[in-house]
Amino acid sequence: MQRIASVADVKSQEFRINEVHNRRLAAELKERQRAARFSRPERDLERLRRQNKLFVRNRIEALLDPETPFLELSTLAANKAYDGEVPGAAQVVGIGIVAGREVIVHADDASVKGGAWYPLSVKKIVRALDMAIENRLPVVHLCDCAGGFLPLQAEFFADRYHAGRIFRNQSILSKMGVPQVAVAMGHCTAGGAYVPALSDYNIIVQGTGAIFLGGPPVVKAATGENVSVEELGGAQMHTSVSGTSDYFASSEMHAIAIARDIVARFDRPTKASIDRAPPEPPAYDASELYGIIPKDPRVQFDMREIIARLVDGSRFHEYQPRYGESLVCGFARLHGYQIGVLGNNGVLFSDSALKGAHFIQLCDKNRTPLLFLQNITGFMVGREYERRGITKDGAKLIMAVSGASVPKFTVVCSGSYGAGTFAMAGRAFDPRFMFTWPQSQISAMGAEQAAGVLTHVKARQLAHVGGRLSEQELAAIREPILDEYRERSSAYYATSEIWDDGILDPVDTRNALAIVLSASLNTPIEAPNYGVFRM
Amino acid sequence: MRELPFETILIANRGEIAVRIIKTLRKLGLRSAIVYHDADARTQAIDMADTAIAISGDTPIAAYLDSAQIIAAARKAGAGALHPGYGFLSENAEFARAVIKAGIAFIGPAPESIELMGDKIRSRNFVQRNGFPVAPSAIEEDDRATFAFRARAIGAPLLVKPSAGGGGKGMRIVRDLDTLEDAIAQARSEGQRYFGDGRLYVERYVENPRHLEVQVLGDSFGNVVHLFERECSVQRRFQKIIEETPAPALSPGLRKRICETATGIARAANYRNAGTVEFIFSGGEFYFLEMNTRLQVEHPVTEMITGIDLVAQQIYVAAGRELGFSQSDIVSKGHAIEARLYAEAPERGYLPTTGKVLILQYPDGDGVRIDSGILQGQQITTVFDPMLAKIIVHSPTRIEAAMKAYRAMRDLVLLGCETNASFLARILADEAFLSGQVHTGYLEENPHIAAGNPASDLSAFLATAALMTRPVRESADAVPALHAALGSWRN
Amino acid sequence: MKHSFEVDGVDYQLWLSPCQQGYRLHLRDKVIAPVAFSYQGDGCGVLTIAGESEPVKFAIDGDVIHVHIRGRTRILHYRDPLRTLACADNEEDHLVARAPMPGVVVKTSVSPGQLVSAGAALMTIESMKLETVIRSPQDGVVDRIHFSEGESFERDAVLVMLSKEGR
Repeated sequence: MQRIASVADVKSQEFRINEVHNRRLAAELKERQRAARFSRPERDLERLRRQNKLFVRNRIEALLDPETPFLELSTLAANKAYDGEVPGAAQVVGIGIVAGREVIVHADDASVKGGAWYPLSVKKIVRALDMAIENRLPVVHLCDCAGGFLPLQAEFFADRYHAGRIFRNQSILSKMGVPQVAVAMGHCTAGGAYVPALSDYNIIVQGTGAIFLGGPPVVKAATGENVSVEELGGAQMHTSVSGTSDYFASSEMHAIAIARDIVARFDRPTKASIDRAPPEPPAYDASELYGIIPKDPRVQFDMREIIARLVDGSRFHEYQPRYGESLVCGFARLHGYQIGVLGNNGVLFSDSALKGAHFIQLCDKNRTPLLFLQNITGFMVGREYERRGITKDGAKLIMAVSGASVPKFTVVCSGSYGAGTFAMAGRAFDPRFMFTWPQSQISAMGAEQAAGVLTHVKARQLAHVGGRLSEQELAAIREPILDEYRERSSAYYATSEIWDDGILDPVDTRNALAIVLSASLNTPIEAPNYGVFRM
Repeated sequence: MRELPFETILIANRGEIAVRIIKTLRKLGLRSAIVYHDADARTQAIDMADTAIAISGDTPIAAYLDSAQIIAAARKAGAGALHPGYGFLSENAEFARAVIKAGIAFIGPAPESIELMGDKIRSRNFVQRNGFPVAPSAIEEDDRATFAFRARAIGAPLLVKPSAGGGGKGMRIVRDLDTLEDAIAQARSEGQRYFGDGRLYVERYVENPRHLEVQVLGDSFGNVVHLFERECSVQRRFQKIIEETPAPALSPGLRKRICETATGIARAANYRNAGTVEFIFSGGEFYFLEMNTRLQVEHPVTEMITGIDLVAQQIYVAAGRELGFSQSDIVSKGHAIEARLYAEAPERGYLPTTGKVLILQYPDGDGVRIDSGILQGQQITTVFDPMLAKIIVHSPTRIEAAMKAYRAMRDLVLLGCETNASFLARILADEAFLSGQVHTGYLEENPHIAAGNPASDLSAFLATAALMTRPVRESADAVPALHAALGSWRN
Repeated sequence: MKHSFEVDGVDYQLWLSPCQQGYRLHLRDKVIAPVAFSYQGDGCGVLTIAGESEPVKFAIDGDVIHVHIRGRTRILHYRDPLRTLACADNEEDHLVARAPMPGVVVKTSVSPGQLVSAGAALMTIESMKLETVIRSPQDGVVDRIHFSEGESFERDAVLVMLSKEGR
């Protein structure tokens, strides 16, 4: 495989400007992540200490094998919701190594609203369990949840992907033979009680852990019975009387030791066999990504420059380099795993869509996972293109993306707009994992165009009443629309709503992809099978 | 040479000294019989002895102190002589008398000599009467009522000692006279416990003295010779740890004087068999401390430099032979050092340690002698004295001997029970020791030697333990290569 | 969760991770690599640590490892996390031995004030025509014996109460 020869001039003015800008964005991301992970009112931390509970981050560090990576997912979930008061949606989710096994860690964060489930908490847990199902990853639940946040119950209770889905997913995992271990480290109340109950193994911590459908106040209200937490659902009772819990732990650390011992017994999954070679670092330093991603998102950049800083040895076997050039396709290795890469170098035309559809089928045939690198404004529009079947060809690409059996991974490097989002394996197309970069934007239409359309509509409505609008008046209408649109198409908004699995500092992308690639191979890859391509 | 009047010798002892005596008996073509308590059933001495006879007691120690059982055992074994070793009944005149009465030769001095010289108080008075130097002291027996008063009159610091016994047991230093009564009570109780004798005496405690002693040997024909001195200043709580000869502290002139003083004392006492005259040495002066009327633990260093087998000489003397050499025939050659291997942890206040000897490998080589009584597989308990073995080296010079002893201590492998081996190595490499600047307070003044450096080489040990512990290795091996390569990466 | 070894009463946390020529040893304040151990049979081996080879003598006795390196012997206890943590945070002064089933005391094997180690027989009970020995859950001192010989008790009854040593 040929090494990509980067043409980026690291000494140029442009490179430096980009670098300063993107490093600032990365620093801002790190700061927001840090705050979401660790910034808590002192009283909440003090309460944990008083209750003799460890902070969720310490629990997770103790659970994981030392000197192994942890890929935290959706760290900034809910960062734009609930007035920013529920960092991480009060949940920590990630992929880590426990007793040498790749597992999903799901932990309630009791330092946030007592670990209460908000609508986005439920969404984050459901997503974590979907990942477990899709990738056959065992799950370790560290439970410490006061129950659902009732004022918002309409947004997390009844619907298909609401709270019930957590328990449904748990049951499905068990049916699939993908084991789960739960540790009741705090109260597991109401629905929360089912998380340990539906786990194949569960451990309860003496003193702090409790499991019950209704806590003492609920029992009192319902039946008038006075009962203590210990009697109602404590460790002693559940491990010796009800059999709801399997293991009695004298402390959180003891519980974690038991959990590690349980995971150490899990079968090691047989990994789907895909072509693999010894890993090799990229020839170009990942930090150069900062200088390559343009400060102005409207400026085009060559996706090969990105690929050169992600893949082994910066080697890239480009497929059809002279055809459909706005979609770069080719083979590369990432930490030794062979992957097929599709990256946008401009708007999608018929030829680029056809090339992409063809390349996806090639990869599917030879069992090569797919990596989509998005920077896409959409498909070309216009009479000439419609006549040449741009919609028909786009449909082929979407059909190929949807039907591919190999694992897909998507990184939104910059723009992700319109039908381009779909064709490039957006969230709806079930990429196993989807990440965004800090400056990326995702929306049905670019902000400028959308604001233009919306302003136009508004102006027309007003015109009916009061006649023509001045330029100033138009701007006054346009600016708030533009601001709100930008806000809601930002990566931070996307990640807040869990449209992705987290924002990545671009330099972390290679390792993050390696971890999810490895995880995805726990699931056997089905034989290629597609729907009907419109020819 | 005339045949010895006995064929079998009963050893009324255990451990390394029993083994050491058996070795000489074998060399002399004599049969060995030994008594043992069940606690010692699986020890080297029992393996080596031609006959082993079990004895019992309320405690294992009590068994070895039971004269009647031991004499009965000697009769049963048909022993013509009995070697008491050191400790236990070795300095018990009554026992010696009973042995002789049973028609068995006692390998040691006459009971009267034990009574005279083995008693700290009597011997001290005797020595003083004969014009040899002694330290100011008070003896309880002189007048019980005024004992404490007389002790006070000597002035602090004082040393309270049981009249019987040795080995530092029961000794107490009193620096503050207010604590004198307590020290007396404690010393009495320990004397009672170890030697069955609660009598005490008190003497002026010389700060930081050196401990010197002279090996003497007398026969039934009035011949008394010395086999030079030994220095045993490296002590902890009066327990000797490292002994050597010649004494680095002595000039040739002083060496001659102290050896002749010892011979003089022994001759005055009409002393027969092997004995040791102990002296305190400080500021160029020495004075009589006590006499040990038996074989000493540290006798091997004397054997190394003189080439004389002291146990063999003891047997010859007991058999009524005349010494086969005169003073001028005894030549001191080179330097010998003995280090005592104890089952104890100097790093933790010399706490006794226990365990099972899982691996035992002694150093060997020219000029290295091991006197050991333990075997691989043996259980080390706190029932007896914690001494496991002695490592003795002989070299042309002191510094070479120290280096050889140091290497021997490092090569010695005893796994399963903590020992003081590395502590001994630390002393042997210590600058003060190497320059001969030691005294009986040396270890107390240099607590770093006992403490060691807990951190040194720790990572090598942890690495070894980690690599050998299955769960530790398994948890490393279980991590997939990719994740191991990524290390503790976080996003 | 790191592994833990006790040496001279001090706990040392460590972790091994694989690397090219063996393992990396992670200690609290440093990383040493590579480390490897080759067995040479009969309690002998060679430790390779950061490029140097050290002959090692060792003996293993359960979780206790006796190691001799460079003239020094150390005893290292592997602290099994499950066992260590099960006791570590048990702050209660009292431990109890409970009845696993209803029955009658046949024989008490200890008396109050007696020092017992974990696993020591405390009493023998009879239940369902079967004699069962009740053993001490931990090291401790016998505090109180709640039933004397011939007395009967229910399931989960506290048979013997122990207190931790030195309290």
